[in-house]
Amino acid sequence: MMEALIAFLTVFTQPELLLLVGLGTFAGVYVGAIPGLSVTMAVSILISFTFAWDVYPAISLMIGIYMGGVYGGSRTAILLNIPGAPSAIATALDGYPMAKRGEAGTAIGVTTVMSFLGGFLGIGVLALAAPMVSDFALKFQPRDYMLLAILGILLVGSLSSGSLLKGIFAGALGIAVGAVGRDPLTFTKRFTFDLQIMEGGISFIAVMIGMFGVSEALLQLHHVGQPAIRQKISRIVPSLATVKKHLPLSLQTSSIGVIIGALPGTGGDIAALMAYDHAKRVTKDPEREFGDGAMEGLVAPETANNAAVGGAFIPMMTLGIPGDAVTAIMIGALFIHGLNPGPMLMIDKPDMFWFIVGALVMANIFMLIFGLTGIKLFTKIVEMPRAVLIPLIMLLSIVGAYAVNNSINDVYWMLGFGFFGYFMRHYGYPLGPVILGVILSRLLDENWRRAIISEREDLGRFFEGIVTSPLSLVLFIAVILIFVSQTPLWGWAKARVLGEQKVAPK
Amino acid sequence: MSTSHSEHHDGSSDATPGGYKNHRRPGELIFGGFLFVASLVLLYSAYGISGFDALSAPGTVPMATTLVMAITALIIVIRTVRLPLVTSERISVDILPGVVVLFGVLLVAYGFLLRPLGFLPTSALFLIIAIKFLTRRSWAYTLVVSLGSLFAIWLIFRIVFTVLMPAGVVPEAEIIQLFRDFARVGAE
Repeated sequence: MMEALIAFLTVFTQPELLLLVGLGTFAGVYVGAIPGLSVTMAVSILISFTFAWDVYPAISLMIGIYMGGVYGGSRTAILLNIPGAPSAIATALDGYPMAKRGEAGTAIGVTTVMSFLGGFLGIGVLALAAPMVSDFALKFQPRDYMLLAILGILLVGSLSSGSLLKGIFAGALGIAVGAVGRDPLTFTKRFTFDLQIMEGGISFIAVMIGMFGVSEALLQLHHVGQPAIRQKISRIVPSLATVKKHLPLSLQTSSIGVIIGALPGTGGDIAALMAYDHAKRVTKDPEREFGDGAMEGLVAPETANNAAVGGAFIPMMTLGIPGDAVTAIMIGALFIHGLNPGPMLMIDKPDMFWFIVGALVMANIFMLIFGLTGIKLFTKIVEMPRAVLIPLIMLLSIVGAYAVNNSINDVYWMLGFGFFGYFMRHYGYPLGPVILGVILSRLLDENWRRAIISEREDLGRFFEGIVTSPLSLVLFIAVILIFVSQTPLWGWAKARVLGEQKVAPK
Repeated sequence: MSTSHSEHHDGSSDATPGGYKNHRRPGELIFGGFLFVASLVLLYSAYGISGFDALSAPGTVPMATTLVMAITALIIVIRTVRLPLVTSERISVDILPGVVVLFGVLLVAYGFLLRPLGFLPTSALFLIIAIKFLTRRSWAYTLVVSLGSLFAIWLIFRIVFTVLMPAGVVPEAEIIQLFRDFARVGAE
């Protein structure tokens, strides 16, 4: 116990590590916020910078960037409607309408405090429940991962106020895009059309930058004549009453964040979307409608995605399975330093685990400080005239897409998806499901195949497996329910059961 | 800030996707038709991966997803056909105005020029043309803003993140080395 405490305090007692966590968090906030710069990219570049360093300084810097970046993504989501990271997709839904009303300061303030709260709860759970959660995660079957992926994609469809059909189309398109290239299991070519450049697949970062960067910039060209949004930044630190009011919700959504983060592969993005969905369901008469600048719509995803950071470390540290893309890169970083994350690391080097917990706590505190102080500097970006901002966003998008693989093809893909996304926006197709589909494509595909192989290619046995496993059954019913709840059948069934004459239009 | 007529329907956020519930926008049917045809092409391509080999074959999930795409696209097209056209909108004003076409061309041109010309000259050209066209301010303003912001971006990416953009005609590495030499001489 004493050793754990000393390891936990390592980061607080060594000024060098403290500085690196602070520097990382500061950089993370801005990296997360700049469109086209992703945390994943920053952390992977950092590996090449830091592999000659000791393991503690390297991890300190990465953890800072990670924590700051997950939070920083919300900034551009609120101010420009461009999520700086996938985990901020849901944040844009209500954050941007708030900024449009001139309440960007309030939105950022609440986001910061709630991110801090969520982050803290996530770390707490990581420290306390890591062994327990690892037991639970061990029970997951491949079919459960698959069901979870489908659930995640369907949820975005249900998020949208538009047509569910268009949402499903977008999600399926995303899965197809994610499948392009050589199949990782059998090396078979998929959707390559016999072109060599297609064999490596399509970089999902290119898709993301295109859909959320370039297509938004093109869309903004319609409004270039309008004056830039003037941000009122007087009320940054939210009142205690505001925080208190949303405390119950933030505790719920933090829990969602930790649980989703702790599931292998699913990180802050799904957590944020699920939390948003949850908030939409449990909030009775919000002051404003969801999608029109509801405070609850900010609290939910922002607590959840930062809570998911702590959660994502649980499978990484206990099982050696990354909780999300960033922890996947961190596993690579630990490998470089001769450490092998997994059950044995927890037993052999518990100090590593406790050091990471300490660094996360510190990064979370830095995030709060930088979040509440750097706003004036940051909101200046939106006070720039759109006529200057739009070309700069386009340029940053191109640089960002190019930088991922140093590939000009990624730039063309990015532009292609940018133009495509532009038309999708005009005709009411949601873009979120495309991104989710691309990210989850491989997970879904691999787990489907593992599941069906273990059932000897027998669909009957596959469904028998789902029905007889409580966990799979819960996930399966959730998928069916979300699907049914979006169809006329739901209203019909509700009317039959409750005897209502008229069902309110969705 | 005024919420213009079009802003409600161009889908700036997933919570409020563009389009109208009971009308079809100009070009919407063409787009839907394109998606349906593209889905069919992808479905055929997915079938070509491994056919109906096995449920665990590499082509199974691609076939399932492209089938879902084709079915949903078809239903969307059928529903769109039934809707009346929005009378107040024209494709050249509300969907694809000249400025968007111009920027589309500029972006593609940027992609083509990036390799041969290099990052700095291409970006400078792009920013100068784009900012001059959009702001319609003086050349002095355009040059200061575009070159100033380009320098800032270059500093962040090239120096801080060491992202290597194509150098093209500018001997970037040599210039940086020159500065490093200067700095070393100064330090000594």
